Amino acid sequence: MIASAAHREFEKVFRARADTSELAAIRRFVEQIALEVALDVERIFDLKVAVSEACANALEHAGCESGWLEVCARCEGHRLTFIITDRGLFKPPSAERRECPNRGMGLPLMVALMDEVSFARTPGGGTQVSLSVFLDKDATLSL
Amino acid sequence: MKVGISNLEETPLLKLDGDIDHSNCGTLEKALEEVIDPQTQAVLLDLESVDYIDSGGLSVILATLRQLRGRGWLGAIAPNGNVTRLLEIVGLLVDPHFRVFADRDEAKAYLAKAAG
Repeated sequence: MIASAAHREFEKVFRARADTSELAAIRRFVEQIALEVALDVERIFDLKVAVSEACANALEHAGCESGWLEVCARCEGHRLTFIITDRGLFKPPSAERRECPNRGMGLPLMVALMDEVSFARTPGGGTQVSLSVFLDKDATLSL
Repeated sequence: MKVGISNLEETPLLKLDGDIDHSNCGTLEKALEEVIDPQTQAVLLDLESVDYIDSGGLSVILATLRQLRGRGWLGAIAPNGNVTRLLEIVGLLVDPHFRVFADRDEAKAYLAKAAG
């Protein structure tokens, strides 16, 4: 089987204030990028949820001390990846958080909805979350 | 997100309109606190006009379900396909105290039947 041609490669960055009120704008950015690579409505929804969860985690845990949150969209070959990087330090769960046992669903949702999820520590001590979906999945699997 | 509070067959009904995310799930939490008292056996959420929900909103739904579990149930009316997938991922669709109704008429018929 011959794999289909790779998508046009690009990288775009969206910078938002480090506040949950910006999540809707971040989702619009995700939708715009996903439409550019012609993802279907289900995959667009999956990406919006996963990116929103990663951003919410960055805002809640890392504090985003810079006051800004950056979401980078990268399309390479058969893969679309959103990279969320924060510069803050990880904060352990607070007492308030332990009293709310339904919190902490963000990570399981990211894993359930994405084709690949990875975490890395940045040189500055922050956290980088990469969320990928494979484009033209059948072609990718046949490689 | 907007929340409209009414009743369906004497059961509290919250009509939600818009995206439910980490920035506004507190509004839903407050509205639920308002309609649930120690005697409340069931609560309905009309999700027909909800295009998007994330773990912020799902956490509130799960917490409400836990609150009602000993005495009743929580119902979702007309969730769209994407929202239904998330309800499934977090295990709500197999919870015996969680109900999904296609529309208000189906919920109303269920309530009438339960009332006997």
